[in-house]
Amino acid sequence: MLRTPSQIRWAQAALAAVILAGWELLPRFGVIPKLFVPSLSEAIGALYEYRAEYLAHLPATLVEILVSYLLACGGGVTLGMLIASSPRARRMALPVLRSAYAVPMVVLYPVMMVWFGLGMGSKVAFATVFAFVPTLLTTVAGVASLSPHLLETARAFGASRWQRILYVQVPASLPTLIAALRLGGALVIVGVTVAEMLGAVEGLGFLITRHRTLLNSPGVYGGIILVLVITSGHEVLLRRLERRVEKFRES
Amino acid sequence: MRYLEPLLVAVGVCGIFGLWEAMVAGGIINARIAPPPSTIAPMLVELLGRANVIRSLGVTLYEVAVAFLISVPVGFFIGFTLAEMPGLGAVFRPVVNFLFGVPKSIFLPIFILIFGVGIEQKIAFGVFTTVFVLILGGISAVESVPRELVTVARAYGANRLQVVREIYLPAMAPVLLESARLGMIFNITAVLLAEIYGARDGIGYRIAGWGESLQMPQLYAALAIVATLAIAVNELLQQLETRLGAWRQRPA
Amino acid sequence: MTQSAVSVRAVTQHFTVEGQSTVALDAIDLEIPPGQFVALVGPSGCGKSTLLSLVAGLRLPTGGTLLCNGEPIVGPVPQRIGMIFQEANLLPWLTALENVAFPLKLRGVPKRERLEAARAMLELTGLGNFADRLPHQLSGGMKQRVSIGRGLVQDPGVLLLDEPFAALDEQTRMVLGDEVLRIWARTGKTVMFVTHNLSEAVYLADRIIVFSARPGRIVDDVPVDLPRPRTFSMMSSERFGALKDRIWAHIRDADH
Repeated sequence: MLRTPSQIRWAQAALAAVILAGWELLPRFGVIPKLFVPSLSEAIGALYEYRAEYLAHLPATLVEILVSYLLACGGGVTLGMLIASSPRARRMALPVLRSAYAVPMVVLYPVMMVWFGLGMGSKVAFATVFAFVPTLLTTVAGVASLSPHLLETARAFGASRWQRILYVQVPASLPTLIAALRLGGALVIVGVTVAEMLGAVEGLGFLITRHRTLLNSPGVYGGIILVLVITSGHEVLLRRLERRVEKFRES
Repeated sequence: MRYLEPLLVAVGVCGIFGLWEAMVAGGIINARIAPPPSTIAPMLVELLGRANVIRSLGVTLYEVAVAFLISVPVGFFIGFTLAEMPGLGAVFRPVVNFLFGVPKSIFLPIFILIFGVGIEQKIAFGVFTTVFVLILGGISAVESVPRELVTVARAYGANRLQVVREIYLPAMAPVLLESARLGMIFNITAVLLAEIYGARDGIGYRIAGWGESLQMPQLYAALAIVATLAIAVNELLQQLETRLGAWRQRPA
Repeated sequence: MTQSAVSVRAVTQHFTVEGQSTVALDAIDLEIPPGQFVALVGPSGCGKSTLLSLVAGLRLPTGGTLLCNGEPIVGPVPQRIGMIFQEANLLPWLTALENVAFPLKLRGVPKRERLEAARAMLELTGLGNFADRLPHQLSGGMKQRVSIGRGLVQDPGVLLLDEPFAALDEQTRMVLGDEVLRIWARTGKTVMFVTHNLSEAVYLADRIIVFSARPGRIVDDVPVDLPRPRTFSMMSSERFGALKDRIWAHIRDADH
C-alpha cells in the first residue's frame, strides 16, 4: 500500500492535513477543551490580535538569544577544539563532560536570578550555561571520532599545534561543528525562553507565562508558535550552512 | 599514566573548590551570593536531616521514576512499530523528526492549564519530554540489527521468536539502554523544570523557594544534592550499558 | 545408480528490482553425488550465490525443484545442510564456543551437550584454545574457522560455502583451504563451494561448474583429474594450468 515514494508523499500530505484539520475542528466541536488546546485559527488570531505586544517583546528575546549564542557556541566550540587537539586533555575531559551533561542545568536558574537579577543578564547567563556543556561535549566527542591518521600525517609534515588545529582539525570536523551549533543553538533558544518563563519582565517566555496566568490559552499558543518560528529559522540557517560546507568539501 | 589522569581531574575539581573558598575569604566573591564550600557542606548535611526536604526529594524521585516507567515502553513500542513497518515509518518520520526537534519546555504552560500544578502534571510533562528520545532510540535500535545475522539464524533454522530472542534483543540492547539513559537526562530536567515553574512540592519547588528568599547556602546545597543524584543515576545506567554492550568493538 | 546428495532440476530464479524483472538463474540442472567437492565459479552476478541460498532453503526458486537426498527443499534444513557465509557473520555477543553451539541452541539441545559438541568442533578447526574469545578478539581467519565449526556442528551431509575466504589475505586463504580439504577428507561431506578464485577452485574441487553472466546458465562442467591429496607444487603443474585456462576462457568470453 505504501511502497513508492509518491504514495508516501501523498500519505505524508494527508497526515499533515489530518493533523491541521484535527487541531482546528476538535477544539471547535468541544472534543478537546478550548482551554487546553484552542483551535488553530484562534491561535493564529491571537498572534494577530496581540501583535503589538509580541512585537514589543520580540527584540529582548532575540538579543538574549544572539548574545548567549555567541557566548555558548563560540566559547563551547573554541574550547572544544583546544581540548580536542590534545589526546590527553580529551581523555581527561570526556568523562567529566559526560557527567556534567547529566546534571539538570535548569536548577541553576534560581542562582542566576540571584546573581544577575530579573533583566537580560540572568537570561543570557542561564542560556549560556544551559547550552555550553552540550556544545563542548559534541565538539570534543566529534573531533575524538576523527581518524587519528589525519593528525598524524599533519604532524609528520611538521605542522605545529596551531597549524594542526587550523588546517586539519577544524576543516576535518566541520560536520561536527555544525552538529554542535545545531544542538547548542537549539538549547540557547530553549534556555532563553525557559528563563523568561521562570522569571522576567520582558520577552516571549514572559508573555507566554503571563497569558497562562490569565488563562488566555490562545495567547499562550501564539507565543509558542513564535518560538517555534525562531527555532525553525535557526534550523533553516544551519541547513544552508551545511549545504555550503558540503559544496566546499566536494570542490 | 592510567592513574595520573583521573587524579589530575580530581585535583582540578578540588582546586576549584579551594579557589572559591579562598576568593570568598579574600573578599573577592561576595559570601552572601556565593557562600564558600565550608558553609555549604554543613548545610548539605543539615538538609539531608530535614524530614520535609527528604519528602520533597521523594516526591521528585517518584515523579521521575513514574514518568520514566511510562516513557520507556511507550516510546520503544512506537519506535519499533515505525521501524518494522517501513511504509508507515516513512509517513510518520517527518512528524517524529519535527516533534523531536521542537523545544518541549515551551509547552510547559499548557500542561499547567491541563493538569494544574500537581504530581500528574510533572509526570505528564516528563513523559512528553522523554518519549521522543525513546521513539528515536527504538527506531535506531531496530536499524542497528545486522541483517546478515538474521540470515544466519534463518539458515540454521531459527523461527520468528528465536530470531527476536537470539538476534534482535541482544543486538538492540546497548542502543536501547543508551537511549534510555539519554531519555533519563531529559526526564530529570523536565520534572525539575516543571517543579521550579509551578508546583506544591518536590526538590525543584524548594530550590525555587530558596532562590526567591535568597537562602543561598540551602540553594547551593540543594544543587549539590540534585547534581550528585543525577550523575549517580546516569553512571548506573552507563555501567549497565557498558556491561551489556561489552561485545561491541571499542574504538582503540 | 546412487541417489544424488543435491539435485537441482530446471531451476529458474527471477528477481524484481525497482519494477524490472531480471533472470538470475535460467534452467539450471545439476546432480551432485554424495561426497563430491564441487566448486561453482563464474563472473560476478552470475547467480552462483543465489543457487547456494536456494540449496540452503533461504528462498524458494521461481521455477523448478531442488532436492536434498531425494527430498524437496522447501526451507532451511540445518541438520542436513550447513551454510558458511562470505563474512564469518558471527554473533558478536557470543563467544567462539557459543557461536559454534548456536545452531544446536536453536534446535533446543541442552546446554552441556551442545557446548561439548561445539568444543569438539573448535578442536577440529584448530581453535581449541580460543573458545572463550569474543569475535572482535579474533583475527579474520580465526573468525572464519569458527564459522566453519558452526557449519559442521550438526554434522550435516552437505556443506555450502559462499566465497568463505573472499575477505581474507592470500596466506590465510591457502591455509584455510588446506584445512577445509582435511576436514572434507575426514568427514566425507558433500561440498558446494562458491569462489571467484580459479586457482582455489582447481586446487580444492573434484568438479568445477562454470556459470555464464546474467542470465546465469551452466556453460561448462569440468572434472578435475588431479590426484589427491592435493599439494602446493601441483599448482605449478601443466595440468593445473590447463584446467585454469579452460575455465578462464569461459569467464573472459562472458565478461564483456
